Amino acid sequence: MIPFDFEYYKPSSISEAVELHRQLDEAGKKPVYYSGGTEIITLSRLNLFYTEAVIDIKGIPECCLCEKEGTRLHLGAGLPLAEIERADYFPLLTVTSKDIADNTARMKITLGGNVCSELIYREAILPFLLSDSQVVTAGASGEVSRPVNEFFNKEIVLEKGEFLVRFITEERFLRAPYFHTKRRKQWNTGYPLITVAALQEEGKTRTAYSGLSPFPFRSRIMEESLNRDNTPLRRKAEQAVNNIPHEIISDSEGSAEYRKFVLKNVLMDVMTRMGRRGPE
Amino acid sequence: MLSKFAHAEIDSISTDRAMKIPGVRGVLTGEGLPLTGEEMKDRPPVAWGKVRYHGEVTAVVIADDPVTAAKAANLVEINYKPLPVVQTPSEAVKENAPLVHENTGIYEKDEGVNPIPGTNIASHTKIRKGSIQRGREESEVTIEESFFIPPSDHAAMETRSAAAEVKPDGKVIITTSSQAPFMVKKLMNSYFGIELGKVVVHTPLVGGGYGGKASVQQEILAYLASMKAGGRPVKIVYPREADLITAPCHMGMEATIKLWATRDGKLKAAEIQYLVEAGAYSDKAIHLTRAAAIDCTGPYFIENVWCDSYCVYTNHPYPAPYRGFSHSEVHFCFERAMDILAGKLNMDPLELRFRNAIRPGQTTPTQYKVNRSTVGDLPECIRRLKKLIRWEEGAVVRINERQLKVKGISCLWKNSTIPPDSTSGAIITFNEDGTANLISGVVEIGTGTKTVLAQIVAETLKMDINNIFVRMEIDTQTTPEHWKTVASRGTLMGGRAAMAAAEDAARQLKAIASCVLRARIEDLDIADSRVFIREEPDKGLHFKDIAYGYTFPNGNSIGGQIIGRGNYILRNLTHIDKETGKGKPGPEWAVGAQGVEIQFDCRDYTYKLIRAISVLDAGKVLNWKAARGQVTGAMSMGLAFAGREAFIFDKEGRIMNPQLRTYRPLHFSEKTEYIVDFVETPHVDAPFGARGLGEQGLISLPAALGNAISAAIELQVTSLPLTPETIWRMKEAER
Repeated sequence: MIPFDFEYYKPSSISEAVELHRQLDEAGKKPVYYSGGTEIITLSRLNLFYTEAVIDIKGIPECCLCEKEGTRLHLGAGLPLAEIERADYFPLLTVTSKDIADNTARMKITLGGNVCSELIYREAILPFLLSDSQVVTAGASGEVSRPVNEFFNKEIVLEKGEFLVRFITEERFLRAPYFHTKRRKQWNTGYPLITVAALQEEGKTRTAYSGLSPFPFRSRIMEESLNRDNTPLRRKAEQAVNNIPHEIISDSEGSAEYRKFVLKNVLMDVMTRMGRRGPE
Repeated sequence: MLSKFAHAEIDSISTDRAMKIPGVRGVLTGEGLPLTGEEMKDRPPVAWGKVRYHGEVTAVVIADDPVTAAKAANLVEINYKPLPVVQTPSEAVKENAPLVHENTGIYEKDEGVNPIPGTNIASHTKIRKGSIQRGREESEVTIEESFFIPPSDHAAMETRSAAAEVKPDGKVIITTSSQAPFMVKKLMNSYFGIELGKVVVHTPLVGGGYGGKASVQQEILAYLASMKAGGRPVKIVYPREADLITAPCHMGMEATIKLWATRDGKLKAAEIQYLVEAGAYSDKAIHLTRAAAIDCTGPYFIENVWCDSYCVYTNHPYPAPYRGFSHSEVHFCFERAMDILAGKLNMDPLELRFRNAIRPGQTTPTQYKVNRSTVGDLPECIRRLKKLIRWEEGAVVRINERQLKVKGISCLWKNSTIPPDSTSGAIITFNEDGTANLISGVVEIGTGTKTVLAQIVAETLKMDINNIFVRMEIDTQTTPEHWKTVASRGTLMGGRAAMAAAEDAARQLKAIASCVLRARIEDLDIADSRVFIREEPDKGLHFKDIAYGYTFPNGNSIGGQIIGRGNYILRNLTHIDKETGKGKPGPEWAVGAQGVEIQFDCRDYTYKLIRAISVLDAGKVLNWKAARGQVTGAMSMGLAFAGREAFIFDKEGRIMNPQLRTYRPLHFSEKTEYIVDFVETPHVDAPFGARGLGEQGLISLPAALGNAISAAIELQVTSLPLTPETIWRMKEAER
C-alpha cells in the first residue's frame, strides 16, 4: 500500500519531460523521474519515500534505445533488465543482470532504475564502469554526454531536473573476455555479499565491485595489484584486498572481515579465469 | 504502531493528533486492557507501561481505510525511555540480569506453570529418571557440549489477518487466518469474559501456518479495535514486516548436554539443561519448554536422565509453536551430542544410534513404557537410511583438492504433548442424490488433511471419494470442535472422529434399509453407495433412496434425514509429575532417521546440498503423494532453518532483517533432491494405523546438516544457522 496520492505523467520527448519536471517542482510537488517503479512501491509502503508527481520516462524514445549503431551500443535507461538480457549485446551486462533480483522483478526493474537505486548494490553499473562507457543525461541545457566515472563516483551526479537517458558502450568492450561472480551469504538467493565483475582490456584485467562498500566502484589501485607481473596469484589477491580504497561494510549479509576473506578467494578465481595466472 | 525499541519504558503516548485526521474512528492503546497469555497471563494485548520487544504493538489506529490509518499512525506520539536489553537466555538467567518482567511471580497462571519470582524464568519443567550418580559410575566415557540457536520465523506465505465485529446484542463475530479457531473462542471468553455462545469464529482456507497461526494475537487486536469503534466491523492485515517480527516467531534455544556411556557405546546417563527462549512473553513458550523436557533425549533409551528445561524471558519476539514443537531444536543439540560421543568412542555414529534406539519394553524420559504401537520401529528406519545414504562409502569422501562429499545422519522422535482432554468431532450429512458431506473442525492449512479424512470416510462407507464433499471453512458455531490443527494430530483425532461419524451413518442407513428390505441389520452390508443383503447383493437400496428417509409407494415415509456423528478423545493421558516428570504426556511417538549429503568447499567454506533423506515410521501411509509432500516440505523447511534462517539483532535488540529480502526461506531454485521412504509399524489407536507425519520430516535435518559440516571441518558445530561465515569463524578461531 502506498499511503499517499500522486500524479502520473508520461511525456513523449526529453524536452517535455524536463519542462514537466520544472513545472511540477515549482508547484512544490517533489517530482521524480521513474521507469520501473519497483523501488517507489517498496520504499513508499515503508514511509521511506514521498512524492506528489511521477514522470515516467518509458515514453521517451531515447530512453528505450536498445541497438548497435556502427561500433557503439546504445542502451536506454528505461529498458527493463530482462529485455537487455534477451537482446544480449553486452555479455558481461547480461550475466550481471541475470543475478539481480529474479526474472519477474527484472521484467519491471530498468537499467536506469537499478543504476539510480537507493540501495547500495546497483550492480548494473559495474559493466559500464569497466568499459569506459559514456553516459547521456538530459536536463535544462539539453542532452549531455560524459564519461561514466564523471556521472557515477560513489554517488550519482545529477543536477536537479536532470535524468539518465542512456549508456553508450564501444563495441570492443562487448567482445572482451569477461567474468562475473556473485557471492551471497548462503546459496543462490539474496543480496550480494560481494559481486565482482571483470573485463580484460589490452591484456589487463579491470575489476568492479558491489556489496563490498556502501556503493559500487571500480578500483585502479586494486587492478594494479592484480595485474602485477611475476607475482603469485594468492599474493596478488591479498595485495588487492589490502588496497581496497573504501570502507568495507558489515551488515546482516556478513562482516567486513568475512567479506575480505571471500574477496581474496574470489579474486583468485577472477584472475584464474582471465588466464593471467602468475607463478604459484 | 510498532515499538522501535526492544526494551523501554513508555513515558507518554499522545493520540490527539492522530484522532484529528478525518476518517479515524479511534486509537487503541494498552490502557486498562486485561493481561493475556495461554498458560500465564503476562502480556498486555497492546503494550502499556513498557515495551518488551522490537515490533511490539504500541497503538492501533482504527480508520475508514488503510491509507488513513497509516497516515494517522504516523501521528501517534510515543516517548520512550530505553532500558538495558536482554538478548539471550543465558544472559537472562545470570544474576543481576535486567528483568523483562518485574512481576513474574504474581501473574495468573495454569497448574503446571512454575515461574521463579525475581528472575527471568517464566517456567521450569523437570525430568528426574533413575540416578545420574549410578549412571556415571557405570560409564567409561563422557562428553559435554553447549549449543545455541537464535530465534527465527515461520514466514508462511499468507500473512496473519483477522476481522471482528461486535453486534448490538453482544455477539462477537471473528474471521481469522488461524490454526486454532476453537481456541480463539475459548480465549475470548477467558480474556474478556464474553459468553462462549456469543463468540463465533470463522476460518477459511489458511495460507500456511507451520504452528505460527496456532497462537492467538491478531484476533484480540481486531476485537478490541471493533469495541473501540463501537462494534463496527474492523479488519486487520499484517504487512510482511509485522508478520515476521510482531506476530509470534520461532523460538531460540540454548542447551548444555552431558552424556555418559560405556566403552561399547551404551548410553548410561544424560544430564541436560534447555533454555527455551520465551522472548518477551511466555504464551506458548511454557508448553514448548515442557515438550522439550518430555522428549529431551531424542529417540534413545537411557536409564538415568536428569533434565531441567527453563522457559526464559528475553527482549526478543515471543514464540509460537513451530513445526516440530521444540523438537527440531532439542534434536539439533542432542543429535550433535550423539555424534560428538560417537567421535570420542571412535564408533560409527549410525551404529551408536542403532545400539541405543528405543525399543518396545523400554522407557522414555517420562518413565512411560513403550510398546510396538506406541513407539514404532526406529531400528528399521536406521537400517533403511544406512542403505539409502550408502553409508558404506564413508561420511567424508574427497572429490578433489578443494571439494569433499560429506554425509551427516540423525534420528528423531516426536510425541505430541497436547492437553489430555483434547477432542475432535465430525459430522456427516447426505445430499438427496446419496452423496455425503463431511464437516470436521480440522483447519485446512495446506496439509491436505481433509483429503485424508474424506478417504477415511470413503473407506469406511465403501463409497467413491468423489461422492464425498468436504467442507473447507470452519465456523465454531456449526462445525464440531477439533482442538487445534497442530501437532500432527489431524489424521489421528480428526480421522477417528470421521471414522466414527461414518460408522454412525452406516448404522442409521442400515436401520432404515432393514425395514424396507425386511432383513436383519446384521445381514446387511454397504458398498458403492448402496445398502444390500449380503447374501443377495442385487437386493438393496441406493443411499439416495434412504439418506433422507424411505418413502413407500403409498406415501408412508420412515427414517428422515441421516446425520452421522463421531468424536474422539485421547485415552489415558496424564499431566506430568512436577518433581520427576513422570507420566504419559501424549498418545504415541513417531520415529525416523534422516540424512543429508553435501558437497563442501574446503577453501571457501561454502556447501551445496546434494540430497536429503528421510525414513519415517508412518504407521500406515494413507495417501502416498500427500505424505511425501508433507515430508518433503518439512525437509525443505528444516534445511532452510539450519542453513540460513535466523533473526539478526543489533546491539539494541532490534531485528535487522524484518523483510523477505533479508530474511530468506528456501527459494525453489535452491531445492535439493529429496528421498522419502516409509516404514509401516501401525499405531493401533490411529485410523488404519497412521502415525503423525506433518512435522517429522523437519525435526532432525538441522542436526544431520550440523553433523555433516562437523565431519567436513573436523570441528564441532554448536550453533545455527550454518552459514559459510559461521564456518569460517570456527576455522579462524581454531588458528
